[in-house]
Amino acid sequence: MAVQDIKPTRSELIELKRKIKLSESGHKILKMKRDGLILEFFEVLEKAKSVRAELDADFDVATEKINIAKAVEGVVTVRSTAFSFKDAPQLVVESKNVMGVVVPKIESSSVRKSLNERGYGIIGTSSRIDEAADAYEILVEKIILAAEIETTIKKLLDEIEKTKRRVNALEFKVIPELIEARNFIILRLDEMERENTFRLKRIKS
Amino acid sequence: MAFLIRRGSKKYPYITARVRAMKSKLIPKEVYPKLMNMDIPEITRLIGESEYKQDVDELAQRYSGLDLLEHALNQNLARTYRKLLRVSQDEPNFLITEYLRHWDIWNIKTILRGKYYGAPAQEILDAVVAAGQLGYRELTSIANMESIDDIKTALTHSPYYAAIAEYEGGELSVIENELDRIYYSRLLASIGKSKGEKLSLKYIRTEIDLKNLKTLFRTKKAGLEKDEILNLVIPGGMELKSGDLKRLSSLSWPDFLKGLEDYSYWSDISEVVREDMASLMDVEAVLDKYAMGYATRISHYYPLSILPIYDYMLRKNNEINNIRTIVRGKKVKLPDEIIRKHLVM
Repeated sequence: MAVQDIKPTRSELIELKRKIKLSESGHKILKMKRDGLILEFFEVLEKAKSVRAELDADFDVATEKINIAKAVEGVVTVRSTAFSFKDAPQLVVESKNVMGVVVPKIESSSVRKSLNERGYGIIGTSSRIDEAADAYEILVEKIILAAEIETTIKKLLDEIEKTKRRVNALEFKVIPELIEARNFIILRLDEMERENTFRLKRIKS
Repeated sequence: MAFLIRRGSKKYPYITARVRAMKSKLIPKEVYPKLMNMDIPEITRLIGESEYKQDVDELAQRYSGLDLLEHALNQNLARTYRKLLRVSQDEPNFLITEYLRHWDIWNIKTILRGKYYGAPAQEILDAVVAAGQLGYRELTSIANMESIDDIKTALTHSPYYAAIAEYEGGELSVIENELDRIYYSRLLASIGKSKGEKLSLKYIRTEIDLKNLKTLFRTKKAGLEKDEILNLVIPGGMELKSGDLKRLSSLSWPDFLKGLEDYSYWSDISEVVREDMASLMDVEAVLDKYAMGYATRISHYYPLSILPIYDYMLRKNNEINNIRTIVRGKKVKLPDEIIRKHLVM
């Protein structure tokens, strides 16, 4: 707000004082929100780090198991057995609120299956296939969990960034400008008061 | 089940002599450690210049890299088995045919799975190995059929119809297990009563035991119930008779392992079996090695019988598996120790 655009009136001064008060309380609340979000972010970050480490480990295990199955049983056997799986895991994406930030909550079903629910015959297959399927089921579950946590992290980061920008805007732009305008009006009103007194004195004399 | 074939050992000297000659062309077990020390290009060159040359050349236009090698190995296996059928007559021919039905069942399963999944016919055909009674042309015509119902109709007069007749959609595991059971019941019924055939029966029944042992290990580890397990075992085993299977399937995991100590297989598997074992791969590898050793041992008892032929078929299959294990294992950088553990020599 440029100083020259301000009308130096008492009502404007009252309005500005109200705005400053509101901005200062908003600034305080947003700062608290930012600090809260950062705390929440570090908590989720720890969880994300451990899930990512587990995901990497599960991926290594699954890769080794499928490689053993492909080597010992043959790609042809693995491909043939893979035809038995038709159902894709069902995902239900819901949302939850973390300090005003809407983050996803992913529920998965039918990822883990027992040996006799996988669709292939037991007699004609081997434990190498079972273990590869097992390892991939665990991996898919972990990917879903990691997706939930990592999306939460991204959303929290966006919100922290947004809140930080608002806090900074209030702290370094909005509130100083309002204070400057308020000071200008006070100054102008004082001056007008002095001019008025002077004018009255001159008329009297 | 009645089989009208000419029984007797008259036809065995010729086919067993042929098999002995074919066996001499198999890769000796001393070569495998050398293969382990070679790079993939060296191994593929060696394979390309060996028995498998013709198959590699034939398939070189369709496949490349390790897929070419794997398909060439499978085609060579099919070619070798068909040769056995060609050079045998009467009883040996009949017994080989029955033994190789394993591959028919494998191919039917693959086609049914492919149709269930909705895979294109060519993709299904890439996963079949025409090493059984059903040739590639017949398998192609089955794979090109529209639905599983059409396949059911096409197989009406085959021995496998009993397994798929009841199928009305859904998962195929029940049919697959039933097909395997039909295979072994036919195999047991196909063997006669002569001295040599009794040994053959012993071999097949031992093979059933080993299959059942693997099934028991997998199902017990997965925590399946007794009734579910009993639906998955094959009747007719040598040591693991119906009562034994019922008893073992009802035991808890630790008691099951303890219960196995009563059987002769325990001496071989005891080293790798532990109550807290995370993987069953070692147990299966040991059982595969046991099957191979047993087939070789028993084939010496009665050289003019089907046993040396079974032994050869098993060895040929193992050779294919071993080459593939080494090459694929090296390609994906599996540790040598793991590759070595899965080689059956």
